[in-house]
Amino acid sequence: MELKKVIKAEKLDEVLNLLAENRERAKVIAGGTDFVIQLREKKIAPEVIIDISDVDELNFIRKSGEFIEIGAATKFTTIKNSGIISDAFKGLKDAAGHVGSPQIRNLGTVGGNICNGSPAADTVPALLALGAVAVVKSKNNTREVPLEEFYLDRGKVKLEPDEILYAVKFLNSKPGQGLGFVKLGLRNALAISSISIAVFVETDNDINCKDVRIGSGALAKFPIREKEVEAFLKGKTLHEDVIEEATEFFGKILEQRLAGRPPVEKDYKPYAIKGVFKEALNKALSVVC
Amino acid sequence: MKKRGKGIACIFYGTGYGNGFPDVSRAYAELQPDGKVAIYTGATEVGQGAKTALSQIPAEVLGLSVDDIIFINEDTSITPDAGTAAATRQTYNTGNAIKMAAEELRNELIKIAVKELELNSDIGLKMKDGKIFLEIYPDKCITFSQIAAMQEEPLRKFAVFTAQTVQIDPETGQGAPYWPYTFSACAVEVEVDTETGKVEVIRGAHAQDVGRAVNPTLIEGQMDGGFAMAMGYVIYEDLGLENGKIWNNKLSSYIIPTSMDMPEIQNIIVEDPENTAPYGAKGIGEPVMISVGPAILNAIYDAVGVRMTEIPVTPAKLLKAIREKEQKEA
Repeated sequence: MELKKVIKAEKLDEVLNLLAENRERAKVIAGGTDFVIQLREKKIAPEVIIDISDVDELNFIRKSGEFIEIGAATKFTTIKNSGIISDAFKGLKDAAGHVGSPQIRNLGTVGGNICNGSPAADTVPALLALGAVAVVKSKNNTREVPLEEFYLDRGKVKLEPDEILYAVKFLNSKPGQGLGFVKLGLRNALAISSISIAVFVETDNDINCKDVRIGSGALAKFPIREKEVEAFLKGKTLHEDVIEEATEFFGKILEQRLAGRPPVEKDYKPYAIKGVFKEALNKALSVVC
Repeated sequence: MKKRGKGIACIFYGTGYGNGFPDVSRAYAELQPDGKVAIYTGATEVGQGAKTALSQIPAEVLGLSVDDIIFINEDTSITPDAGTAAATRQTYNTGNAIKMAAEELRNELIKIAVKELELNSDIGLKMKDGKIFLEIYPDKCITFSQIAAMQEEPLRKFAVFTAQTVQIDPETGQGAPYWPYTFSACAVEVEVDTETGKVEVIRGAHAQDVGRAVNPTLIEGQMDGGFAMAMGYVIYEDLGLENGKIWNNKLSSYIIPTSMDMPEIQNIIVEDPENTAPYGAKGIGEPVMISVGPAILNAIYDAVGVRMTEIPVTPAKLLKAIREKEQKEA
């Protein structure tokens, strides 16, 4: 399709109407840090581009009852510096702070990070570990989907042509909870994740693991929950030897999962995961309050 | 576990084309009507600072400020050939040619001054800020622009410098293939994550013999740049070559270090003037990179006891080597 129109939207209603009207012909642009590259490489060729970067209704971090809600067009820099996200969930801010470079973080948005469907999206493992829910809107409907069910394939999410990701939300932190995030990249800035891991834990005073959720990046076609490792840890006391066993177990899972992948993945990630996972879990435990 | 290690390395490096190959630079120095001096030479500025350093040299010869040197290069229709900006040769080779041309111009200017000022000899004549004057009687003075006004054709001097190297004996490998040589040394401390194979260079010290520092700030810039390039070469830059296909064919996957990866580096400039060089200055373009790589590899060995013999030492390769060592020891 030939690009005919770029529409700078100001209101959410306007966006939803345009999507209803144009459906497959339209694509939404927010920060554009992935979008513009895809456009240049002709991987996407929309007829209509709807720019949502200045739609205030999509740009917010707020408390809503028990939840924290983050608007889809909220920039990484805003998340990184948010005072609303608690110290216990600092891992989410860390994840946003690991995206690309300051320039990319000043443009790129959390909604774009999710909807682009990259396996290496930095904020998604943290949101998965928080048990986040995607709030999706269309002209006549609003629906909620657990983020872990939102992915279809590499680069593909469950959005109908007339739908937009409106926000993500997760339960605010409670005493005993913590989130840790670690990204292993090949350098300290502008790095695409080799592995990223976010661990959410809830413990009692004796470091018994009451609940745990693990989000991973760059270990599958899209960011996923590592439920087998979660099940292994749940109910156990998080002593060093238990953590060590869990990391070994995680490595074994990856050996199987990545068996068919190129050497740079299958000969590396099942082993490198151990250090990354341990650090993420320890970070989570260190911020539990 | 994170383990730290230290490593050092030192190198010597022959600058210039070498091995008897004719290594020639040419330059003109030309007096301008306003008393400034133009240098014409085919030296190429590729970001290394050639225009600055090669303007400082004639300014020094002629007692002018750098602002009074008009440096004309990279235009082959009006500049003489000065060879390539390669082989760490421009400061030494073209610097020499420019210095010689400027000296010729200086001698001519003095000769004219002696005549015009009706002096017995050139003894005690000084050249400073576009004026030639008698130190013991400064009223005896003539300016460059006054001399320029007297000329029918612009006063212009030419010089050629050819470096002295000898082809080595093809049978014995003996001879003097390069001149001058330069020396450098590097020390680094690294931190290796034994569980991910990631190497972080946490600090470095880097010493470079420069002969004479024509421009210390530019030299430090070259040293920082050489350090970064070597870090990229040794621990980051991987083409991902597989059956003739390059996987890392873009700068998002073929990665070079960013400022976030660079450690604090202590640069040490060593001045040991070279007597065939312009004011003793030798080239440093390439040598600033060479010692950094082996120093990093030595530091990795010191940290984890693994001797890496293939670069780049990517986290995947290093982790594999660390695991093999652990398995062997177990």
